[in-house]
Order: sequence, then structure tokens, then C-alpha cells
Amino acid sequence: MGLEQKNVPPDLTVDIGSLKLKNPVMTASGTFGYGEEYSPYMDLNQIGAIVVKGLSLEPRMGNAPPRIMETPCGMLNAVGLQNIGVRAFIATKLPFLRQFETPVIVNIYAESVDEFSILAQKLSEAQGVHALEVNISCPNVKKGGIAFGTDPDMAAEVTRRVKDATDLPVIVKLTPNVTDIAMIAQSVEAAGADAVSLINTITGMSVDVDKRMPHLWNITGGLSGPAIKPVALRMVWQVVNRVSIPVIGLGGIMTAEDALEYLIVGARAVQVGTANFVNARAIPDIIEGIGKYLRKHQMTHIDELIGSLRSR
Amino acid sequence: MRQFMMGGLVESNAEVREGHYLLSLRLPLSFALPLPGQFVMVSLKGRKDMLLARPFSVSGFNRRAQDVRVEILYRVAGQGTRLLARLGIGEDVDISGPLGRPFEISPAINNVILVAGGIGIAPLRYLLASLKAQGTDRTLRIDFYMGAKTVDELLELETTRCLCDNLHVCTDDCSMGHPGLVTEPLEQAIKSYPLNDTLICACGPLGMIRRLSEILMQYPLACQVSLEERMACGLGACLGCAVAVRGPNGEKQYQRVCREGPVFNLRDILWD
Repeated sequence: MGLEQKNVPPDLTVDIGSLKLKNPVMTASGTFGYGEEYSPYMDLNQIGAIVVKGLSLEPRMGNAPPRIMETPCGMLNAVGLQNIGVRAFIATKLPFLRQFETPVIVNIYAESVDEFSILAQKLSEAQGVHALEVNISCPNVKKGGIAFGTDPDMAAEVTRRVKDATDLPVIVKLTPNVTDIAMIAQSVEAAGADAVSLINTITGMSVDVDKRMPHLWNITGGLSGPAIKPVALRMVWQVVNRVSIPVIGLGGIMTAEDALEYLIVGARAVQVGTANFVNARAIPDIIEGIGKYLRKHQMTHIDELIGSLRSR
Repeated sequence: MRQFMMGGLVESNAEVREGHYLLSLRLPLSFALPLPGQFVMVSLKGRKDMLLARPFSVSGFNRRAQDVRVEILYRVAGQGTRLLARLGIGEDVDISGPLGRPFEISPAINNVILVAGGIGIAPLRYLLASLKAQGTDRTLRIDFYMGAKTVDELLELETTRCLCDNLHVCTDDCSMGHPGLVTEPLEQAIKSYPLNDTLICACGPLGMIRRLSEILMQYPLACQVSLEERMACGLGACLGCAVAVRGPNGEKQYQRVCREGPVFNLRDILWD
């Protein structure tokens, strides 16, 4: 029996509400386009779930350039949610994604609660959408976005309206740019969220000293990459201890070891973002590394790892 | 389009002029032939102080018996290129490419005008070499307008002089050739080029590109320009490398330098 078990690959499946994933590694919204961009480099069936670039009801042009700047161990971006709009997504991008077994999670952004509701409805009617991720945390747009995510009542209201408009699992993506992120998490949990994902980027800034101008047209941008991992990990740990819904951890995950840290503190799944820009095969590498770790530690199921943080 | 991510070895990385380097990378034979105007993403392995890969136009390409050489002409402009300049022979780098939309020269074109400002010569060096290598079935006339701040920053002067039919040199500080902007001698000569079979291919600072667009408003020669913008992935996902262009219905939209570019039709670019 013991010998036979050694050859069985560890079970990486996790549940996020009613959503079943073959492994806990998803793409982070805005770092994987609509999937097509990465299909030359990997089999998209390998991924736990694909979270697509944030969508709004109408197409959005996005911010003027420059939009990105590398900073120590990270990058600032201020893309401004450039996207093709929900109708074009359903018509032109979803058919491609439907070819794969990988669940598609659509990240949605709106400037009003009503718009969130309409978006949720439209996407629920489309074939091939498996969950919604509600973006109440974008730091790079003037209206909506982070404004909803920094107020617990507004966050709850958006969550309720999206839940009312859809039967799909609803993940609420939280911003770190608050005093107590766990309080926001509790608020959206009470409003019916099926899961929370955190963190979105940390608002930051960078200045060109020769020109004495901000590097970014938007002046400020969202910081991502290895620089934010300790902050994000701390927040995930705090939220895990305060809510009972699944927590999806993200922020600076570049390697399997980074992902393991999140799982150990209690994240049910993780998202990989900036790493996709650095290494187009980051996600398959991370999934493989998690499997190897489980085998090495003789775990047969990833549940044995999740939330297994020991006290010092 | 075939694209690759692979490791390469530094064959040479010589400082050709102060602050300007020519990097030659040795890559496996499977690396696809880059088309002039295309670029590659170069990253340094395991560096904590350079997270993202950097985009570079292909400046040269040679196929050998055992491997291929990709040449990159670059100017040290920031942290990434500073680190790149320190690379020694035999060190390894990661490269992906060839990426992006190349220059497209239709068979109807008989006159090609190349306009380079400063390090903007990087993609035009490869374009010029490719046009000459195409051989005898085409009799292209190639005029080259090369500008730089000063004589020391005029790169590839002798090779260019040999390969093109007419070379016009300009320097901002009057240290060589026409004193002033590279667009000035072009503007003087512009009406000598026929509208129906001439194409301008340009790369240089935004000010130069913008001046070109003004000149071509008066005399609408076709013009393709290679643009540069900060990018994170080079694959079309990050949407970092945005450039404002006129869309198919005339509306303003942002396109990606890495996918819809780096070569754009000059008349599509919006300036305000």
C-alpha cells in the first residue's frame, strides 16, 4: 500500500465555493491578457483557472503612456483598465477560451453599482464563464475601482448587487491600500462573497530626477512583483484568520516557494501576475514545483498543506 | 509567427562609441529569422536588480553552420542597459523573439529613404543590410539620412556609406555634416522623391518623428516608423507599451508597440 501510494501524483485539486480547480494556481487579472498571448508558450489546460484582463461594460481606452516603470524588485503600472468591453469579449475572446478545460474567471470593473449588476448579468448569460472576480481595488482609474474597495459599506453593497445578478461564484478582489484589509474582507463575506482575492497592487510613485517629472503619465501607479510579497503575505494571513470563505493569495509570486508560503498561511489558491511578464512559463513551473514539494513531504493532497502554518 | 524563448551566450559586447555597445548573441539554429524592424526581449539570468526583460530592435542577424548570431546595437540609457553593458563574453542571457511587426516594403517601391536619429539606427542597420542582401532582382535606390547629437554618436557611418546610394550626415553640434536636425536636409530634398514609389523608414527620438510627420503633411510620402516604449512582457499582455493611434474608424485608440508595432504607419500616429 505504502509503495503504491508513492507513485500516485499528489492531488492538487481545490474548491473555491462551487468552483472546482485542478490545481490552486490561477493567473492574476491584467497579466495574462485573454489567454491567447500565452498559448504559444504553454498548454492553457495546465492552469488552475484563467482570470482575464478586467472588463467594463463599455470599452476603455486606458491611460496615456508611459504606463509602466520598473522599480527595485518590482514594477509600477498605470494601464488604466484598457479593455475591449464585455460585448467584444464575449463575441471575440470567449470562444477561444472555451476550447480549454480550464475555468475562466472574468474580472469585472464598473463605475457604479448598477453597472456592476449589468456586467454580472451579461457574463452569467454567456457560455464559458465559470466565476466572476469583482475588481473594487484598481488604483489607476478616477472613478469606481478603489473607491468601492476602501469603504466596507460600499464594498458590501457592490458584492450584494453582483450576487443578486448572478449564480456564478463571486470572488471579491481587495485592495491593500486600507488600514484594515480584514475588516473589508469580513464585510464582503457578510454580503455573500464566495471568496476574496488579495492583494491588488499597492499604490506607488517614481520620479525621473533628470526631468523632475513622474515616470508615469498617471503620476501614481500600482506596485507589483517580489517587492510586495511580504506585505501581501501578511495581509493574506490576517484575512485567513478573520473570514471563513476561501482566500486567494497574490502578490509577488515568482516561484513555487512563493506560492507555498501563501498556501501554508492558509490561502486556498494563488494567483500569479508579474511573473508572467518575466517568464512566460512561470505558471507551469510553479504548478510543477508545488507537486514536487508535496511529494517530497509525502503529502497526498494539497489540503494537508493549506493552512498548515506552525507556531514558533 | 514563430517565436522562441531560449538561452543565448554573449559572443561579444563591445563599446563601439562612448555609451554605445554592439552586443552579439550566439543562439541555437532553431531561432527564427527576424524580419527587419522586429525586436527581441533580453533578460539577465537570476538578477534581482533587473526584474523585467528589455526590448531591443534586431540590428543584425547571421546564420552560421552550428548556430546563429543576433546583433543588438544599444545605448546605455538606464538600469537595464547599464547592467547589459557589463556582460562579458560567454555569459548567458535569456532571449525571446523575434517579436512584433516588421517594416513592410511592397514590390512597388523603388526608392527607400532611411532616417535615423541617434541610436534609432539600430533597426535601420539591419533593414539596410537585408535590402542589400536581397540581391539583383530589385534595383532599389536607398538614401540614408543619419543624424546624431555629435560626431561621436554617429554609429556605423562607414558601413552605411558603403551600402546606401546617398548618405546625408547631420549633427546637432555641427561636428560633422549638415549642422542641425536630420529632418532639415530631408525636407530640402523631399520633392525630388516620387510620391508613388517612395517609402521612408525611420527610427529616432519622438521629436524627430513628429517633425517628419509635419513635413509629410505637406508632401505625403509613405512613411513607416519604429517606435519605442517601456514594456514589461513584450508578448502583448501587460498593455504597458501603449501608443496613441488612429483606429480603423478614425477614433483614437491605444495600440501595443510590442504587437501592433513596433513599426507603425506614421500617418496613424496621434500627437496630442
